[in-house]
This record gives sequence, C-alpha cells and structure tokens, in this order.
Amino acid sequence: MRILLSWLREFVEIPFEPRKLQADLTSIGLSVEAVTSSGSDWLLDVEVTTNRPDCLSHYGVAREIAAAYRTTIRPLKFEVQESAEAASERVSIEISDSSLCARYCGRIVEGVRVGPSPEWLARRLEAIGQRPINNIADITNYVLMELGHPLHAFDFDRIQDRRIIVRRARAGELLQTLDGIERRLTANDLVIADAARPVALAGVMGGQNSEISPQTRVVLLESAWFDPVSVRRTAKSQGLHTEASHRFERGADIGMAPVALDRAAAMVAELSGGKVLRGRLDVYPAPQNREAIVLRQSEIARVLGTEIAPSEVERILVALGFAVEAAAAGWCAQPPSFRLDVRREVDLIEEVARQFGYDRLPARVRSVSPRLERDVEREKILALSRLLTGLGYREIIPSSMVDPKDNALFTNRPPVALANPLSQDASVLRSTSLVSMASVLAFNTDRGQKDLSFFELGKTYEARANAHPAEHRVLALGLTGNRRPPSVHEPAREAKFFDLKGDVESVLELFELPELRFEEERCLAYEEGLAGRFVSGTTVLAALGRLKPDIQRRFKIRAEAWLAEIDLDQLLAFPLKQPMLRPFSRFPTVERDLSLVVPMGLPYRRIAEAIARLGIEEIYSVEPLERKAAAELPAGLVPEGHASLFLHVTFQSLTRTLTGDEVDEAAGKIYSALESLGVRLRA
Amino acid sequence: MTVDQKVRQTLAELGVTESAGVVALFAEVCETMERERRELVNRVAADKAERDRACKELRDRWLARKNGLLSLVDERWLKKAPRELKPVVGQHFNALRKASEQLEVGVLAREMKCRVAASAGAVLEARSPIVAGTTVLSGVSPDLTLPSIRRPLGSMHPVTRVLREIEEIFIALGFRIETGPEIETVEYNFDALNIPETHPSRDDWDTLYVDEKTVLRTHTSPVQIRAMRKYGAPLYVIAPGKVYRHDKPDSSHATMFHQVEGLAVDRDITFADLKGTLDYFAKRFFGEKVRTSFHPSFFPFTEPSGEVAISCTLCDGRGCRVCKESGWLEVMGCGMVHPEVLRQGGIEPEEFTGWAFGMGVERYAMMKYGIDDIQLFFQNDVRFLKQF
Ligand SMILES: [Zn+2]
Repeated sequence: MRILLSWLREFVEIPFEPRKLQADLTSIGLSVEAVTSSGSDWLLDVEVTTNRPDCLSHYGVAREIAAAYRTTIRPLKFEVQESAEAASERVSIEISDSSLCARYCGRIVEGVRVGPSPEWLARRLEAIGQRPINNIADITNYVLMELGHPLHAFDFDRIQDRRIIVRRARAGELLQTLDGIERRLTANDLVIADAARPVALAGVMGGQNSEISPQTRVVLLESAWFDPVSVRRTAKSQGLHTEASHRFERGADIGMAPVALDRAAAMVAELSGGKVLRGRLDVYPAPQNREAIVLRQSEIARVLGTEIAPSEVERILVALGFAVEAAAAGWCAQPPSFRLDVRREVDLIEEVARQFGYDRLPARVRSVSPRLERDVEREKILALSRLLTGLGYREIIPSSMVDPKDNALFTNRPPVALANPLSQDASVLRSTSLVSMASVLAFNTDRGQKDLSFFELGKTYEARANAHPAEHRVLALGLTGNRRPPSVHEPAREAKFFDLKGDVESVLELFELPELRFEEERCLAYEEGLAGRFVSGTTVLAALGRLKPDIQRRFKIRAEAWLAEIDLDQLLAFPLKQPMLRPFSRFPTVERDLSLVVPMGLPYRRIAEAIARLGIEEIYSVEPLERKAAAELPAGLVPEGHASLFLHVTFQSLTRTLTGDEVDEAAGKIYSALESLGVRLRA
Repeated sequence: MTVDQKVRQTLAELGVTESAGVVALFAEVCETMERERRELVNRVAADKAERDRACKELRDRWLARKNGLLSLVDERWLKKAPRELKPVVGQHFNALRKASEQLEVGVLAREMKCRVAASAGAVLEARSPIVAGTTVLSGVSPDLTLPSIRRPLGSMHPVTRVLREIEEIFIALGFRIETGPEIETVEYNFDALNIPETHPSRDDWDTLYVDEKTVLRTHTSPVQIRAMRKYGAPLYVIAPGKVYRHDKPDSSHATMFHQVEGLAVDRDITFADLKGTLDYFAKRFFGEKVRTSFHPSFFPFTEPSGEVAISCTLCDGRGCRVCKESGWLEVMGCGMVHPEVLRQGGIEPEEFTGWAFGMGVERYAMMKYGIDDIQLFFQNDVRFLKQF
C-alpha cells in the first residue's frame, strides 16, 4: 500500500522525519519496504499483512500512528449539503440475501457534470499509483485510498425501474464488467441488480451497462459491506482481483460504510457541481455488534513471559479503538468494527505486545533436558556424506521437477504429475534420481568440465493409483571423465565400471548387511553387459552401470557416464557397522602367485566362491592381480576362448608359522578345486 | 594398439603432439615392461636352465640392440620427435632406460631365485614396489617443488553445509530433527495450520498442486502438526527440508528451496523463550556481535507473530546497500503457536504454550557465502560446488 506522508498528516501529527516514521511503523507491524521522496512529499511503501485490511488506507495507517505516538487521530472534516428532495423517493434498495451483504448504503447526487478531476486530486492519485479516469470515478477511488472503504458509482439513469436489488446471480446470467469482459455468472456470485439485470459484480467490479459516462447526470453512490468469503470466491472464479475485492475479501469496516459514502457524496457535490439528495439510504437488516473478549492479566504473562502494567494494557487497547471495561481477572474488550481479525484473547495479547514493542519484551534462553535417544538416522546420513566427500564426490542438489519425457528414459515407474506446472520441462516430480544426475553431468560437461564425481542425497516420487503419492529416499552417484587426472607424476586414468562398483561397495560397507552380493543385471538406462546391482538377502540395495550411449548423446554428456542409485529407505534400515575386535595373527604371512588359464565365460565370482568353499582357515586373502583375454596376449600363450588370470594368495595362520609344505598343500587344494571349473595352471 | 605396435610408429603417426601424450605413452611402456617382468619373476621354475632361458628372452625382447623395444623407442620416438617435444621425450626415455636395468639377466635371475625360495616356504619380504609414475622411475632425486599428488576431495553442497550448521545449533539445545513428506495434503499444509481456503492469507503461498487435495508443501510447517500428533507435548523439534512454490525462477526466487521450521511446546513457554532462543541462534550462526530485533508480523499459525531482523553483518548496523541503509536484515518469521494450531495437533492450549519459527536456508547460505543468485544452488555447476 502506497502512503503519502502529506495525506497522513491530514489525520495525525507526525513530529518526526520519514526515516524515523519508517522504523516506528515497522516496530508496530506495518513494515515499510521503502521511503522515497515524491516532489516535496514522501511516499511510504507499506506492506500490509492479510489480517490488517484496516491499514489499507491513509486513515487506517494514521490510526496506528496515533496509537503509537500517544496522540489522537483528527476527526474527518466534511459536510454533506443536502437538497430538499429525499433520495428515498427516487430509489429503492433491497437486500435479498443478507448472509452475503450485511449492509448497503446509498446516496444520490444529481446534476453532476462528469469531467476531469481537479489537478490536486489527480496528482494525489497518481502519486500513489492510481490512474485518474474522471471526477466521479476518481472520487470513489480517492475515498477508497483515504478511508479504505470500497465505493461504487452508478449512472442512475441507466438503472432500470430505479431499483437496486442485492441478490445471487442466476446460473448463466451474463454481465459485461468495466474491463470489457463478458462474464458468465453462477448462483454463488453476488450481484447488484436493477429490476431487469445485474449491474455490478458485488464487491468486485461494476458493469458497463451502468458505467459513468460524460453524459451521466445523476449518480448513485454505493457503500456496502459484502461477505468476505463470497467476494473471494467470486473474484477467484472470475480471475478478477481489484482494489475493492482485495479489501472486501480481507474484511471491510462495516462501520465505515456510511462515513465513506457521505465523504464521497460531499466531494461529488463539491467537484462536479451536483446536488446531494436528502437522506442516506442504509439497509442494515441485522446491525452487527462485536462481542467483547475477556483478557486475563495472567494470560498476558503466560504468553509474553512478563507482566505488563494494567494501565499500559488499557491505554493500548483504548488507543486502538477497543471498548475496554475492567473485569474480575483483567478486562473485557470489545473490538472496533474495523478489527475483524481480533477474535480471541491471544489476538488482544498480540495487540498489547505489538504496541508495547517486541524489543522491550524480555528474552531468555534455556536448553531442554538432554535426550537419551540417539538420532541414528542422522548419524547414518552424516557417515554417508563424510564418506562420499572423502571419496572425491561433490554433493549436488538438483530440482525434483523434471520433464516426463526425460524421466521415462530412465524408469518405467510413474512420476507425479503437477496440475499447474510452471513449464513442461518441470512438470513432474521425478521417479528416478538418474535423470537429474544425467542432467547435472550434461550441464557441466557442456561447460568444459571433464572429470566429475557427484552424489545426491534426495528423493524420488511415485504416483500410485487411488493413493497418496509415495516418496523414496535415494543416494545417487555419477561419474564421468578421468578418475585420476593426468599429472607430471602419473598418467590419467579414466573412470570405469569398477570405480563406481568400488564406491558403491564402500557405501554399503558402512552398514551391517547380511549376504551381500553383486549380480549382473539389466536396467532401462544402462548399457547391457555394463550394469549390475547389489543385493542383500532378497533386498535390492543398489543398481549401477554405464549410461546407455543413446541417452548419453541425448543429454549431450561428452564422455561415458557411470551412474548408480542406492535405495536409502532400504539401506538406512540396516544398522551401521559396529566395530567388534577379532584376533589377528602374530605369525608371518606367506604369499603365492597362481598363474591360471580360465575359460572366458567363467565369472570371477565363481572362482572366489570355489576357493571360499574350501574353508581353508589359513587363506588370509585372495586377490586377482591381472586378467587378460587370449587376444590381448602374445599368440599361443593362452588357448583361444580362454583368459590368463593371475591370483595373488596370502596365507597366514593364527596359531603358527606356516611351512612351505603346508602352503603348497593349500595351493594344491585350490588348484584342484578350480580344475572342476575348467581352470588350468598356466605353463 | 599394443605397445609392440606403438613403438614401431613415430609420435606424429601416433597423433601425439603434446607432452601429456608423451607422458601417457611412456607410462604405458613402463607399465607393460613392469608387468612382463613381474610375470616372469613370479613364474615358479625350479630348473636353472629354464630360468635363464626365460630371463634372456625377456631381456632381449626389451634391450636387444637390434629391434629391442627400447631401441625402437629411441629410433622412432626420440630421434624423430619434433623439436619442441625432444626434451620431454628425452627425459622420459632416460627414465625408461634406467628402469630397464631391472631387466638385465642377472637381476632377473636373482629375483626369480628369491621367488623360488619364497615358494619353498620362506617368508617374503615386501614385494618390490610397483613402478607406475615416471618421476619415481627416473631414479634421480625428484624435483620436490613439483605439485603434489592429491586424491581429489569432494565437497558438501552449500545448502547442506548451512543446514547442518543450523541443525547442530538446535540439537545442542535439545531439539530433535523431524521430517515429513514433500507431497502434502491440503489439510496438513494449510487447513490444520489455520490457513483456510476462504481466507486471502492462503494466497501468500503460491502453490504447486498435484490435485485438489494434494500439494507440494509450501513450507515445512506441516511437520509441526505431524510432530505434535505423533509425540504430544512437551515437544522440541526442528523440521528441515525441501519446499516448493509456484514462483517464476529468478535470482531471488526458486520453485524449490529449503526451509527449517522449529517448534517448542511445553508448559511455561513464553515469548521470552522465543526471543532468547532465536537471539542465541542468530549469534551462534551469524557471529557473536550480531544483535537481533523483533517486530510484529502475521502468520495464520502463530499469534503473536513476528519477524526477526539481525544487525547487518556487512555494515554492522550502520546502513549499507545490502541492508537498504536500514542497518537490519530480516532473517526469519516466528511467533507463539496459535491456540487453534495446538488444538489441531492434539495439544491443549490452556495447558501448553509453544513458539515456532521458519527460516529459508538458501538465504542464509547467500548471506554467509556472498552468493547473489539463488539459481546457482540448483544448477550444480562444479565451478560453484568446488568452492565449498
Ligand atoms: Zn548493511
């Protein structure tokens, strides 16, 4: 709300410069976004929260300032000169649905001359961002900005049968509003109608059929109070937000309706040469009386943490327009008609606190008694992110919203579609983290960044038929480019499947996982033969692989990309590994290198399993040091369809130094166990 | 292409025009040489004649005057190297030659004998080091002023950094962390928080909808209700997480961002606790010298409601461009929990009182790290990420 300092000063004395006023208004809850000079005047941009429609005017802001500065607001000065003829002879006003319109006041001004507003008025409106139209429309606008009450002016000669009826629209009824749009109404919309047709959308906008024009001679001024919920519903369904609807839907001041009307009538008479007919029509079927609210002094202390002197409480409430009476444990306070937001005891306490000053209230800091339970989940998350940053991964936070076409490249799981997305490429909540990881890799390789390792701790979302969408926590990993950049010391080495596999293993290794195994596995987004997963028991914990080249090209990722998605809902359900010391040997290790020839189709896993099945306690470790297919070796070294495998086996006993014979015997057992798999010793 | 093939071509034919390519080529040769050497010495051969034959074979393959791999490197790579690459090729060739001394028959045989002994039961000493890098190979004392060998370290996203920092301050005060779904019901996101559809305050949150009853949560406040219903009072929780708004992205707006919501409900909780705790938080987070100021505001779920401003961290409250000359920066919304919200959470407002706050994590990160565009957080440009 734009407020002119000079206008404010018509109602309240402000003995301070604008900067000080800005700070003081902020401290009572009227945040001033900006103070700018406007000629010799000052313009304040006041942010009025939705609960305070009473401050959407100069008079309303002045009222708050008067309370804060302990002064009084000046009464409005105007006089309505009435002619002899009674307005009630000329028009009848009827409210047919008083639940939607509690009060309707009207006055008639005849003999008006419609034309431009005087300069001072036009200037004021322009200064606060309003466009002058003609003197009649400008006056209703001026009074709105001054007193906060929305008014409407009809060309009375165009009101059929001189009747005003406030009623619900009939379904399908049409009304062309002042913005030129023809609107189809429903029975939920409240209209102002004449004998034949709607002439205004109540509290929102007037109709063209009764618009003020240069030919207008008689004006009917309307000042009413419409139900906030009804105005809001109509404004929303019609997509029409106006200064009037803005105030009515927040709750206008029913007590201000006749005052604003008189103020406008007086101005119309003065500025357009018209005559105000005698009498104000005021249809007010059930005058509203605000109920008094009990305010206990003890409750003030219970909420604010301090006593506030009773005299101060009273002073504040009275200054804000409340009718205050002493009661047993405190007060009874009746809110003024412009404070519809105050309905409870705690609302009164806020009023007191606000005007007393939040900064003057006490402060204390206490800590809660210590918790016994541990936040195990947080410990797990912290362990994961420490590990991954240590492994060289950078954390990313991509948007959850993606293009459904991209999402579908990675998974068949349905994403969650938004009803009102901002754009097509952010119209669903992703059902896979891989789509985001691929986008981030693409974004970076596109900017010349080559060696990338990223992780994300995020969520995926899943649409479910007839059920609330599901959310799954995931950990995504993405690699591209070199695992080790080239340097003066070492050549570069590109990231490969086994880098990713190893990092996923490191992640899994933080947890106590029974029967963990790796399996080759297909996946929509991964290249066949370069994809796999980790499984514990029957629980799939992670899927990883090389991004399919066609997807990689589509995303414009410049090099091979390796991706993994780890199911955190599953993984976090397992406990973190707890160290438990096992004895280790004091005796020396003995190492043997076994040079083997293995059939190409035999996975290493089966060799490792065969050795493990031997159950030889003295085998400390088995490491494959090299595996080469026949084609990679000098001709004749290894037969066609076979590969050479170099196994490095370490033996150690917990109880003694192993002899050469013992080790040879164990090595012999390994050979014979492997022979049944088609493995032979290399010559 | 195998090493055998590569050494038969010139650098130009191999397409190597920069020293990085040279380094890579020599590394490959060194690796191959070392692998073959290891294969040989690891071969268990008891017969001395057989051992000697194998050693000579490997030695000749590499060191023979004529057509030995090293002489080929000398001829094709070094002699035919373009002038600008000569020094680097020469340097690496020298290192290679030095390393190739390991291939002399005597050395190999010694090593093999040692292996045979080991396989006969003796304990092995540490294996001979695997030689991979050219600086180590050179055998001359290295230039220690060269850059170090570093394992690249990762980094935490700045939002996570700030989030963790915020969390830790409140954990130390005894708060627990609570999370909730990002796809929320209208009931939890609005209705239970005293934000009815019929009130314009609903419009303060530009909302992304899944359907009429389901939204992307516009704040983490629904977690308040969930936590109250789950644990009852007394209750001390913070709720960090992603929130969503139907906002056109620009340098200060994002459709997705992070919030931390806090809630304390107990007997004897007053506005003084709210002020004291948030002042403590601000000092811990922004620095001990920071002062706080509280002024009234409006949130449907708190009453009284307030905004917290801190003295501008840039100008210390004197007024500057960042604080729009006011000396203050607004950092969060807060208030005493509205009795209706307590009731919605199943807590009796005549017995318990509570205070709550909500803060935007990106804004804090922007203030803390001097970031002026919120979009940077979600682009995940590695040049941005690596600074944290
Ligand atoms: Zn500043």
